[in-house]
Amino acid sequence: MAKLFDVQAVFSHLSEILAYLPVTLELAVISMLIAVILGLILAVIKINHVPVLTAAVNVFVSVIRGTPIIVQLYITYFGIPMVLKYISTRNGTEFQSGNVPGIFCAIVALSVNESAYIAEIFRGALQSVGTGQIEAANALGMTYFQALRRIILPETLTVALPGLGNSFIGLIKGTSLAFTCAVVEITAQGKIIGGRTYRYFEVYVSLALIYWVVTIVVEQLVKLLERKNEIPENAALVTERVCEAKPGQRI
Amino acid sequence: MIEITNLKKKFRDNIVLDGINMKIQKGDVVGIIGPSGTGKSTLLRCINQLEQPEQGKIQMDGKEIDLSRKNKKEILELRKNTGMVFQKFNLFEKKTALENVMEGLLVVQKKSREDAKKAAQEQLERVGMAAWANHYPRHLSGGQQQRVAIARALAMKPSLLLLDEPTSALDPELVGEVLETIKKVAEEGFTMLLVSHEMNFIRHVSNRVIFLDGGKIVEDGTPRQVFEHPVNQRTVEFFTKMNLMNQPEYVI
Ligand SMILES: Nc1ncnc2c1ncn2[C@@H]1O[C@H](COP(=O)(O)OP(=O)(O)OP(=O)(O)O)[C@@H](O)[C@H]1O
Ligand SMILES: [Mg+2]
Repeated sequence: MAKLFDVQAVFSHLSEILAYLPVTLELAVISMLIAVILGLILAVIKINHVPVLTAAVNVFVSVIRGTPIIVQLYITYFGIPMVLKYISTRNGTEFQSGNVPGIFCAIVALSVNESAYIAEIFRGALQSVGTGQIEAANALGMTYFQALRRIILPETLTVALPGLGNSFIGLIKGTSLAFTCAVVEITAQGKIIGGRTYRYFEVYVSLALIYWVVTIVVEQLVKLLERKNEIPENAALVTERVCEAKPGQRI
Repeated sequence: MIEITNLKKKFRDNIVLDGINMKIQKGDVVGIIGPSGTGKSTLLRCINQLEQPEQGKIQMDGKEIDLSRKNKKEILELRKNTGMVFQKFNLFEKKTALENVMEGLLVVQKKSREDAKKAAQEQLERVGMAAWANHYPRHLSGGQQQRVAIARALAMKPSLLLLDEPTSALDPELVGEVLETIKKVAEEGFTMLLVSHEMNFIRHVSNRVIFLDGGKIVEDGTPRQVFEHPVNQRTVEFFTKMNLMNQPEYVI
Protein backbone atom coordinates (compact mmCIF):
# COMPACT_ATOMS: atom_id res chain seq x y z
CA MET A 1 0.00 0.00 0.00
CA ALA A 2 1.21 3.48 -0.80
CA LYS A 3 2.22 5.70 2.07
CA LEU A 4 -0.61 7.71 3.60
CA PHE A 5 1.55 10.85 3.77
CA ASP A 6 4.57 10.96 1.52
CA VAL A 7 6.94 13.51 3.06
CA GLN A 8 9.20 13.29 0.06
CA ALA A 9 6.36 14.23 -2.28
CA VAL A 10 6.06 17.54 -0.43
CA PHE A 11 9.53 18.47 -1.60
CA SER A 12 9.95 16.55 -4.83
CA HIS A 13 7.56 18.85 -6.75
CA LEU A 14 8.82 22.02 -5.13
CA SER A 15 10.94 23.11 -8.06
CA GLU A 16 8.11 22.48 -10.46
CA ILE A 17 5.84 24.71 -8.39
CA LEU A 18 8.48 27.33 -7.75
CA ALA A 19 8.87 27.76 -11.48
CA TYR A 20 5.56 29.65 -11.27
CA LEU A 21 6.51 31.81 -8.30
CA PRO A 22 7.48 34.66 -10.65
CA VAL A 23 3.91 34.68 -11.96
CA THR A 24 2.55 34.92 -8.43
CA LEU A 25 4.94 37.71 -7.56
CA GLU A 26 4.27 39.54 -10.80
CA LEU A 27 0.54 39.48 -10.10
CA ALA A 28 1.07 40.66 -6.53
CA VAL A 29 3.65 43.38 -7.18
CA ILE A 30 1.99 44.95 -10.20
CA SER A 31 -1.46 44.85 -8.57
CA MET A 32 -0.02 46.37 -5.41
CA LEU A 33 1.62 49.26 -7.26
CA ILE A 34 -1.59 50.08 -9.10
CA ALA A 35 -3.65 49.65 -5.93
CA VAL A 36 -1.41 52.02 -3.96
CA ILE A 37 -1.71 54.78 -6.56
CA LEU A 38 -5.44 54.24 -7.00
CA GLY A 39 -6.00 53.96 -3.26
CA LEU A 40 -4.12 57.19 -2.63
CA ILE A 41 -6.20 59.06 -5.17
CA LEU A 42 -9.40 57.69 -3.64
CA ALA A 43 -8.24 58.69 -0.15
CA VAL A 44 -7.28 62.22 -1.21
CA ILE A 45 -10.72 62.63 -2.81
CA LYS A 46 -12.38 61.44 0.37
CA ILE A 47 -10.52 63.57 2.89
CA ASN A 48 -10.99 66.68 0.78
CA HIS A 49 -14.71 65.97 0.45
CA VAL A 50 -14.59 66.59 -3.30
CA PRO A 51 -18.24 66.93 -4.34
CA VAL A 52 -19.76 64.10 -6.41
CA LEU A 53 -16.46 62.18 -6.52
CA THR A 54 -16.61 61.47 -2.79
CA ALA A 55 -20.03 59.89 -3.20
CA ALA A 56 -18.74 57.83 -6.12
CA VAL A 57 -15.76 56.67 -4.04
CA ASN A 58 -18.08 55.65 -1.19
CA VAL A 59 -20.23 53.55 -3.51
CA PHE A 60 -17.15 51.99 -5.06
CA VAL A 61 -15.62 51.05 -1.70
CA SER A 62 -18.95 49.69 -0.51
CA VAL A 63 -19.40 47.51 -3.60
CA ILE A 64 -15.86 46.13 -3.43
CA ARG A 65 -16.14 45.37 0.26
CA GLY A 66 -19.55 43.86 -0.16
CA THR A 67 -18.64 41.28 -2.80
CA PRO A 68 -16.27 38.30 -2.72
CA ILE A 69 -13.02 38.71 -4.60
CA ILE A 70 -13.62 35.53 -6.57
CA VAL A 71 -16.83 37.00 -7.97
CA GLN A 72 -14.98 40.20 -8.83
CA LEU A 73 -12.36 38.17 -10.66
CA TYR A 74 -15.02 36.35 -12.71
CA ILE A 75 -16.76 39.60 -13.49
CA THR A 76 -13.54 41.16 -14.76
CA TYR A 77 -12.59 38.04 -16.69
CA PHE A 78 -15.86 37.98 -18.57
CA GLY A 79 -16.54 41.69 -18.42
CA ILE A 80 -13.36 43.15 -19.92
CA PRO A 81 -13.62 41.26 -23.23
CA MET A 82 -17.30 42.29 -23.42
CA VAL A 83 -16.48 45.95 -22.88
CA LEU A 84 -13.65 45.81 -25.41
CA LYS A 85 -15.91 44.08 -27.91
CA TYR A 86 -18.58 46.73 -27.43
CA ILE A 87 -16.05 49.51 -27.97
CA SER A 88 -14.56 47.87 -31.05
CA THR A 89 -17.95 47.22 -32.69
CA ARG A 90 -18.88 50.84 -32.10
CA ASN A 91 -15.67 51.91 -33.74
CA GLY A 92 -16.29 49.41 -36.53
CA THR A 93 -13.17 47.32 -35.90
CA GLU A 94 -12.91 43.57 -35.52
CA PHE A 95 -12.09 42.26 -32.08
CA GLN A 96 -11.13 38.77 -30.95
CA SER A 97 -12.29 38.38 -27.38
CA GLY A 98 -9.76 35.62 -26.87
CA ASN A 99 -7.02 38.21 -27.27
CA VAL A 100 -7.28 39.57 -23.75
CA PRO A 101 -4.61 37.88 -21.64
CA GLY A 102 -5.97 36.36 -18.43
CA ILE A 103 -3.19 37.90 -16.38
CA PHE A 104 -4.35 41.35 -17.46
CA CYS A 105 -7.86 40.66 -16.15
CA ALA A 106 -6.48 39.21 -12.94
CA ILE A 107 -4.31 42.27 -12.33
CA VAL A 108 -7.23 44.61 -12.99
CA ALA A 109 -9.48 42.73 -10.55
CA LEU A 110 -6.87 42.32 -7.84
CA SER A 111 -5.67 45.93 -7.97
CA VAL A 112 -9.14 47.42 -8.07
CA ASN A 113 -10.16 45.22 -5.16
CA GLU A 114 -7.08 46.06 -3.12
CA SER A 115 -7.35 49.78 -3.85
CA ALA A 116 -10.61 49.97 -1.91
CA TYR A 117 -8.92 48.64 1.20
CA ILE A 118 -5.77 50.67 0.70
CA ALA A 119 -7.89 53.82 0.31
CA GLU A 120 -9.12 53.28 3.87
CA ILE A 121 -5.56 52.78 5.14
CA PHE A 122 -4.44 55.99 3.44
CA ARG A 123 -7.46 57.89 4.67
CA GLY A 124 -6.62 57.11 8.28
CA ALA A 125 -2.95 57.89 7.71
CA LEU A 126 -3.66 61.17 5.93
CA GLN A 127 -5.90 62.25 8.78
CA SER A 128 -3.17 61.46 11.29
CA VAL A 129 -0.91 64.16 9.86
CA GLY A 130 -1.31 67.10 12.22
CA THR A 131 -3.07 70.18 10.86
CA GLY A 132 -0.23 72.18 12.36
CA GLN A 133 2.28 71.03 9.79
CA ILE A 134 -0.18 71.54 6.96
CA GLU A 135 -0.90 75.07 8.14
CA ALA A 136 2.82 75.74 8.40
CA ALA A 137 3.24 74.59 4.80
CA ASN A 138 0.33 76.78 3.70
CA ALA A 139 1.70 79.75 5.60
CA LEU A 140 4.97 79.39 3.69
CA GLY A 141 2.98 79.77 0.49
CA MET A 142 2.90 76.16 -0.69
CA THR A 143 0.06 74.98 -2.88
CA TYR A 144 -2.01 71.99 -1.73
CA PHE A 145 -0.12 69.64 -4.02
CA GLN A 146 3.26 70.94 -2.91
CA ALA A 147 2.26 70.42 0.71
CA LEU A 148 0.87 66.98 -0.16
CA ARG A 149 4.03 65.87 -1.88
CA ARG A 150 6.61 67.42 0.42
CA ILE A 151 5.02 67.31 3.86
CA ILE A 152 1.85 65.23 4.02
CA LEU A 153 2.79 62.18 1.96
CA PRO A 154 6.11 61.35 3.63
CA GLU A 155 4.33 61.28 6.98
CA THR A 156 1.34 59.45 5.60
CA LEU A 157 3.49 56.71 4.12
CA THR A 158 5.24 56.15 7.43
CA VAL A 159 1.93 55.76 9.20
CA ALA A 160 0.44 53.63 6.42
CA LEU A 161 3.43 51.33 5.98
CA PRO A 162 2.42 48.54 8.39
CA GLY A 163 -1.10 48.53 6.96
CA LEU A 164 0.23 48.46 3.41
CA GLY A 165 2.49 45.56 4.37
CA ASN A 166 -0.53 43.60 5.60
CA SER A 167 -2.41 44.48 2.43
CA PHE A 168 0.42 43.21 0.31
CA ILE A 169 0.54 39.93 2.19
CA GLY A 170 -3.21 39.57 1.74
CA LEU A 171 -2.78 40.32 -1.93
CA ILE A 172 -0.11 37.64 -2.36
CA LYS A 173 -2.51 35.11 -0.91
CA GLY A 174 -5.28 36.56 -3.06
CA THR A 175 -3.32 35.78 -6.22
CA SER A 176 -4.11 32.10 -5.57
CA LEU A 177 -7.54 32.88 -7.02
CA ALA A 178 -6.09 34.03 -10.32
CA PHE A 179 -6.93 30.63 -11.83
CA THR A 180 -10.41 32.07 -12.30
CA CYS A 181 -8.87 34.15 -15.06
CA ALA A 182 -7.01 31.14 -16.48
CA VAL A 183 -3.68 32.30 -15.06
CA VAL A 184 -1.29 29.59 -13.96
CA GLU A 185 0.56 30.68 -10.86
CA ILE A 186 1.81 28.52 -8.03
CA THR A 187 -1.57 27.37 -6.73
CA ALA A 188 -2.84 26.50 -10.21
CA GLN A 189 0.41 24.67 -10.92
CA GLY A 190 -0.01 22.78 -7.63
CA LYS A 191 -3.47 21.69 -8.70
CA ILE A 192 -2.11 20.52 -12.03
CA ILE A 193 0.60 18.46 -10.33
CA GLY A 194 -1.96 17.12 -7.89
CA GLY A 195 -4.16 16.01 -10.75
CA ARG A 196 -1.23 14.19 -12.31
CA THR A 197 0.16 12.46 -9.21
CA TYR A 198 -2.92 12.28 -6.98
CA ARG A 199 -0.68 13.59 -4.17
CA TYR A 200 -3.01 16.54 -3.62
CA PHE A 201 -2.40 16.73 0.09
CA GLU A 202 1.39 16.82 -0.24
CA VAL A 203 1.24 19.41 -3.00
CA TYR A 204 -0.99 21.67 -0.94
CA VAL A 205 1.34 21.31 2.04
CA SER A 206 4.26 22.41 -0.12
CA LEU A 207 2.13 25.33 -1.43
CA ALA A 208 1.40 26.33 2.15
CA LEU A 209 5.11 26.27 2.90
CA ILE A 210 5.88 28.49 -0.07
CA TYR A 211 3.23 31.07 0.82
CA TRP A 212 4.38 31.05 4.41
CA VAL A 213 8.03 31.65 3.52
CA VAL A 214 7.11 34.41 1.07
CA THR A 215 5.00 36.07 3.77
CA ILE A 216 7.85 35.94 6.26
CA VAL A 217 10.21 37.50 3.73
CA VAL A 218 7.72 40.29 2.99
CA GLU A 219 7.19 40.91 6.70
CA GLN A 220 10.91 41.30 7.20
CA LEU A 221 11.19 43.64 4.22
CA VAL A 222 8.42 45.82 5.63
CA LYS A 223 10.15 45.90 9.01
CA LEU A 224 13.35 46.95 7.29
CA LEU A 225 11.54 49.72 5.44
CA GLU A 226 9.94 50.89 8.67
CA ARG A 227 13.29 51.06 10.38
CA LYS A 228 14.81 52.96 7.48
CA ASN A 229 11.95 55.42 7.63
CA GLU A 230 12.24 56.11 11.33
CA ILE A 231 13.69 59.36 12.59
CA PRO A 232 17.08 58.34 13.96
CA GLU A 233 17.05 58.18 17.75
CA ASN A 234 20.58 59.41 18.07
CA ALA A 235 20.68 62.91 16.68
CA ALA A 236 24.46 62.82 16.42
CA LEU A 237 24.18 60.06 13.83
CA VAL A 238 22.11 62.12 11.44
CA THR A 239 24.24 62.46 8.36
CA GLU A 240 24.23 65.61 6.32
CA ARG A 241 21.89 64.42 3.61
CA VAL A 242 21.60 67.91 2.33
CA CYS A 243 25.35 68.23 1.85
CA GLU A 244 25.48 65.09 -0.22
CA ALA A 245 23.14 66.48 -2.83
CA LYS A 246 24.95 67.50 -5.96
CA PRO A 247 25.57 71.19 -6.37
CA GLY A 248 22.95 72.88 -8.45
CA GLN A 249 20.50 70.04 -7.95
CA ARG A 250 16.95 71.25 -7.83
CA ILE A 251 13.79 69.83 -6.39
CA MET B 1 2.96 100.57 4.77
CA ILE B 2 0.45 97.83 5.34
CA GLU B 3 -3.21 98.67 5.66
CA ILE B 4 -6.02 96.42 6.81
CA THR B 5 -9.52 97.68 6.11
CA ASN B 6 -12.82 96.61 7.59
CA LEU B 7 -11.89 93.06 8.51
CA LYS B 8 -14.94 91.07 9.59
CA LYS B 9 -15.01 87.46 10.67
CA LYS B 10 -17.60 85.38 12.42
CA PHE B 11 -17.87 81.71 13.27
CA ARG B 12 -21.55 80.87 12.83
CA ASP B 13 -23.21 83.63 14.86
CA ASN B 14 -20.16 84.36 16.98
CA ILE B 15 -18.84 87.66 15.68
CA VAL B 16 -15.13 87.55 16.37
CA LEU B 17 -13.77 90.45 14.33
CA ASP B 18 -16.17 93.32 13.84
CA GLY B 19 -14.60 95.63 11.32
CA ILE B 20 -10.93 95.92 12.17
CA ASN B 21 -9.02 98.81 10.59
CA MET B 22 -5.33 99.29 11.08
CA LYS B 23 -2.33 100.85 9.43
CA ILE B 24 1.05 99.36 10.09
CA GLN B 25 4.17 101.32 9.28
CA LYS B 26 7.24 99.59 7.98
CA GLY B 27 9.39 98.42 10.88
CA ASP B 28 6.51 98.62 13.34
CA VAL B 29 6.37 96.03 16.06
CA VAL B 30 2.72 95.90 17.02
CA GLY B 31 1.84 94.09 20.22
CA ILE B 32 -1.68 92.69 20.23
CA ILE B 33 -3.20 91.96 23.60
CA GLY B 34 -6.65 91.22 24.93
CA PRO B 35 -8.70 88.71 26.91
CA SER B 36 -8.72 85.07 25.86
CA GLY B 37 -11.09 84.36 23.00
CA THR B 38 -11.34 87.90 21.63
CA GLY B 39 -9.97 86.91 18.27
CA LYS B 40 -6.28 87.76 18.42
CA SER B 41 -5.36 84.48 16.72
CA THR B 42 -8.25 84.87 14.30
CA LEU B 43 -6.97 88.32 13.32
CA LEU B 44 -3.53 86.97 12.45
CA ARG B 45 -4.99 83.96 10.67
CA CYS B 46 -7.28 86.13 8.56
CA ILE B 47 -4.35 88.28 7.51
CA ASN B 48 -2.66 85.34 5.76
CA GLN B 49 -5.96 83.64 4.90
CA LEU B 50 -5.51 80.56 7.01
CA GLU B 51 -9.00 81.68 7.95
CA GLN B 52 -11.28 83.31 5.43
CA PRO B 53 -13.04 86.44 6.65
CA GLU B 54 -16.44 87.56 5.36
CA GLN B 55 -15.07 90.96 4.57
CA GLY B 56 -11.81 92.81 4.60
CA LYS B 57 -8.99 94.07 2.47
CA ILE B 58 -5.28 94.20 2.96
CA GLN B 59 -2.94 96.51 1.18
CA MET B 60 0.67 95.44 1.16
CA ASP B 61 3.69 96.27 -0.96
CA GLY B 62 1.44 98.50 -3.06
CA LYS B 63 -1.01 95.73 -3.87
CA GLU B 64 -4.53 95.38 -2.55
CA ILE B 65 -5.98 91.96 -1.83
CA ASP B 66 -9.58 91.22 -0.98
CA LEU B 67 -9.29 88.79 1.93
CA SER B 68 -12.87 87.60 1.61
CA ARG B 69 -12.32 86.24 -1.88
CA LYS B 70 -10.89 82.84 -2.56
CA ASN B 71 -8.42 83.59 -5.28
CA LYS B 72 -5.70 80.94 -5.18
CA LYS B 73 -3.09 83.08 -6.86
CA GLU B 74 -3.71 86.02 -4.57
CA ILE B 75 -3.72 83.81 -1.50
CA LEU B 76 -0.36 82.32 -2.41
CA GLU B 77 1.04 85.76 -3.15
CA LEU B 78 -0.18 87.01 0.21
CA ARG B 79 1.26 84.04 2.05
CA LYS B 80 4.60 84.44 0.35
CA ASN B 81 4.78 87.97 1.72
CA THR B 82 3.77 87.10 5.26
CA GLY B 83 5.51 84.81 7.70
CA MET B 84 3.78 83.01 10.54
CA VAL B 85 5.14 81.74 13.82
CA PHE B 86 2.73 79.41 15.58
CA GLN B 87 2.08 78.81 19.23
CA LYS B 88 2.91 75.13 18.85
CA PHE B 89 5.89 75.70 16.50
CA ASN B 90 4.45 73.38 13.80
CA LEU B 91 7.82 72.28 12.53
CA PHE B 92 7.90 69.59 9.84
CA GLU B 93 8.51 66.53 11.95
CA LYS B 94 10.26 64.44 9.36
CA LYS B 95 12.74 67.13 8.47
CA THR B 96 15.81 68.35 10.30
CA ALA B 97 16.09 71.92 11.57
CA LEU B 98 18.03 72.87 8.45
CA GLU B 99 15.58 71.14 6.12
CA ASN B 100 12.70 72.88 7.87
CA VAL B 101 14.20 76.26 7.09
CA MET B 102 15.17 75.21 3.54
CA GLU B 103 11.75 73.86 2.65
CA GLY B 104 10.05 77.13 1.73
CA LEU B 105 13.14 78.37 -0.08
CA LEU B 106 13.25 75.25 -2.24
CA VAL B 107 9.59 74.65 -2.90
CA VAL B 108 8.10 78.12 -2.85
CA GLN B 109 10.98 80.36 -3.85
CA LYS B 110 12.49 77.69 -6.15
CA LYS B 111 16.00 78.39 -4.99
CA SER B 112 18.76 75.95 -5.81
CA ARG B 113 19.76 73.54 -3.07
CA GLU B 114 23.05 75.30 -2.52
CA ASP B 115 21.50 78.73 -2.19
CA ALA B 116 18.68 77.46 0.00
CA LYS B 117 21.12 75.70 2.25
CA LYS B 118 23.33 78.72 2.59
CA ALA B 119 20.38 80.99 3.35
CA ALA B 120 18.95 78.48 5.83
CA GLN B 121 22.24 78.20 7.68
CA GLU B 122 22.44 81.96 7.96
CA GLN B 123 18.96 82.04 9.45
CA LEU B 124 19.75 79.29 11.92
CA GLU B 125 22.80 81.24 12.98
CA ARG B 126 20.68 84.31 13.48
CA VAL B 127 18.50 82.47 16.01
CA GLY B 128 21.45 80.71 17.57
CA MET B 129 20.55 77.26 16.28
CA ALA B 130 23.36 76.66 13.78
CA ALA B 131 24.83 73.90 15.91
CA TRP B 132 21.52 72.04 15.83
CA ALA B 133 21.04 72.12 12.08
CA ASN B 134 20.92 68.35 11.69
CA HIS B 135 18.62 67.63 14.57
CA TYR B 136 15.03 66.57 14.11
CA PRO B 137 12.33 68.59 15.90
CA ARG B 138 11.59 65.83 18.32
CA HIS B 139 15.15 65.98 19.60
CA LEU B 140 14.89 69.70 20.26
CA SER B 141 13.44 71.48 23.28
CA GLY B 142 10.34 73.62 22.80
CA GLY B 143 12.38 76.79 22.91
CA GLN B 144 14.79 75.47 20.30
CA GLN B 145 11.93 74.35 18.08
CA GLN B 146 10.37 77.78 18.26
CA ARG B 147 13.66 79.41 17.32
CA VAL B 148 13.90 77.14 14.28
CA ALA B 149 10.30 78.05 13.42
CA ILE B 150 11.25 81.72 13.62
CA ALA B 151 14.23 81.07 11.35
CA ARG B 152 11.94 79.26 8.91
CA ALA B 153 9.62 82.27 8.75
CA LEU B 154 12.45 84.80 8.49
CA ALA B 155 14.17 82.88 5.69
CA MET B 156 11.29 83.77 3.38
CA LYS B 157 12.03 87.48 3.96
CA PRO B 158 8.38 88.34 4.64
CA SER B 159 7.13 91.92 4.57
CA LEU B 160 5.07 91.12 7.62
CA LEU B 161 5.77 88.62 10.36
CA LEU B 162 2.85 87.26 12.36
CA LEU B 163 3.61 85.73 15.74
CA ASP B 164 0.77 84.04 17.61
CA GLU B 165 1.69 83.54 21.26
CA PRO B 166 5.12 82.23 20.39
CA THR B 167 6.02 81.48 24.01
CA SER B 168 2.80 80.30 25.57
CA ALA B 169 3.42 76.60 24.87
CA LEU B 170 6.86 76.74 26.46
CA ASP B 171 8.10 75.76 29.88
CA PRO B 172 8.86 78.92 31.87
CA GLU B 173 12.61 78.41 31.74
CA LEU B 174 12.54 78.31 27.93
CA VAL B 175 10.55 81.50 27.41
CA GLY B 176 13.58 83.74 27.78
CA GLU B 177 15.58 82.40 24.84
CA VAL B 178 12.63 82.79 22.45
CA LEU B 179 11.82 86.31 23.66
CA GLU B 180 15.48 87.20 23.24
CA THR B 181 15.34 85.96 19.64
CA ILE B 182 12.16 87.90 18.87
CA LYS B 183 13.66 91.04 20.38
CA LYS B 184 16.69 90.67 18.15
CA VAL B 185 14.50 90.23 15.08
CA ALA B 186 12.43 93.26 16.07
CA GLU B 187 15.56 95.35 16.41
CA GLU B 188 16.63 94.32 12.92
CA GLY B 189 13.64 96.19 11.56
CA PHE B 190 11.18 93.42 10.67
CA THR B 191 7.57 94.55 10.62
CA MET B 192 5.63 92.33 12.97
CA LEU B 193 2.32 91.67 14.65
CA LEU B 194 2.95 89.98 17.95
CA VAL B 195 0.20 88.37 20.01
CA SER B 196 1.36 87.51 23.48
CA HIS B 197 0.31 87.26 27.09
CA GLU B 198 3.81 88.30 28.19
CA MET B 199 2.81 91.85 29.05
CA ASN B 200 6.24 92.97 30.15
CA PHE B 201 7.75 91.72 26.96
CA ILE B 202 5.11 93.38 24.77
CA ARG B 203 5.71 96.58 26.61
CA HIS B 204 9.41 96.24 26.09
CA VAL B 205 9.66 95.13 22.49
CA SER B 206 6.77 96.81 20.68
CA ASN B 207 6.49 100.42 19.65
CA ARG B 208 2.74 100.19 19.44
CA VAL B 209 0.17 98.21 21.40
CA ILE B 210 -3.33 97.27 20.37
CA PHE B 211 -5.96 96.02 22.77
CA LEU B 212 -8.60 93.87 21.16
CA ASP B 213 -11.97 93.36 22.77
CA GLY B 214 -15.42 92.48 21.49
CA GLY B 215 -14.18 92.25 17.94
CA LYS B 216 -12.87 95.80 17.93
CA ILE B 217 -9.68 97.65 18.63
CA VAL B 218 -10.46 99.47 21.86
CA GLU B 219 -6.99 100.73 22.61
CA ASP B 220 -4.24 101.74 20.23
CA GLY B 221 -1.12 103.63 21.15
CA THR B 222 2.42 103.49 22.39
CA PRO B 223 3.08 100.93 25.12
CA ARG B 224 3.30 103.79 27.59
CA GLN B 225 -0.11 105.16 26.63
CA VAL B 226 -1.85 101.82 26.64
CA PHE B 227 -0.29 100.32 29.73
CA GLU B 228 -0.18 103.44 31.87
CA HIS B 229 -3.15 105.45 30.69
CA PRO B 230 -5.71 103.09 29.22
CA VAL B 231 -8.84 104.92 28.16
CA ASN B 232 -11.18 101.94 27.97
CA GLN B 233 -12.85 100.43 31.04
CA ARG B 234 -12.32 96.88 29.74
CA THR B 235 -8.61 97.49 29.38
CA VAL B 236 -8.36 98.78 32.92
CA GLU B 237 -10.20 95.72 34.21
CA PHE B 238 -7.94 93.45 32.16
CA PHE B 239 -4.79 95.02 33.53
CA THR B 240 -6.12 94.95 37.05
CA LYS B 241 -6.81 91.27 36.65
CA MET B 242 -3.34 90.71 35.32
CA ASN B 243 -2.05 92.69 38.24
CA LEU B 244 -0.21 94.92 35.90
CA MET B 245 -1.21 98.21 37.39
CA ASN B 246 1.38 97.46 40.05
CA GLN B 247 4.52 97.76 38.05
CA PRO B 248 7.97 97.23 39.53
CA GLU B 249 8.34 101.03 39.66
CA TYR B 250 6.16 101.05 42.72
CA VAL B 251 7.96 98.21 44.39
CA ILE B 252 10.75 98.97 46.81
N1 LIG C 1 -12.30 77.28 13.78
C1 LIG C 1 -13.18 77.86 14.63
N2 LIG C 1 -14.48 77.49 14.61
C2 LIG C 1 -15.37 78.07 15.44
N3 LIG C 1 -15.06 79.02 16.33
C3 LIG C 1 -13.79 79.43 16.40
C4 LIG C 1 -12.78 78.87 15.56
N4 LIG C 1 -11.60 79.45 15.85
C5 LIG C 1 -11.86 80.35 16.83
N5 LIG C 1 -13.17 80.34 17.15
C6 LIG C 1 -13.80 81.21 18.15
O1 LIG C 1 -13.45 82.52 17.85
C7 LIG C 1 -13.19 83.26 19.03
C8 LIG C 1 -11.81 83.88 18.94
O2 LIG C 1 -10.83 82.86 18.96
P1 LIG C 1 -9.28 83.19 18.93
O3 LIG C 1 -8.58 81.90 18.97
O4 LIG C 1 -9.01 84.08 17.78
O5 LIG C 1 -9.07 83.98 20.28
P2 LIG C 1 -7.72 84.47 20.93
O6 LIG C 1 -7.90 85.92 21.21
O7 LIG C 1 -6.57 84.07 20.11
O8 LIG C 1 -7.73 83.71 22.30
P3 LIG C 1 -6.51 83.10 23.13
O9 LIG C 1 -5.89 84.24 23.87
O10 LIG C 1 -7.17 82.14 24.06
O11 LIG C 1 -5.59 82.45 22.16
C9 LIG C 1 -13.37 82.30 20.18
O12 LIG C 1 -14.64 82.53 20.73
C10 LIG C 1 -13.30 80.95 19.55
O13 LIG C 1 -14.13 80.06 20.23
MG1 LIG D 1 -5.00 82.67 20.34
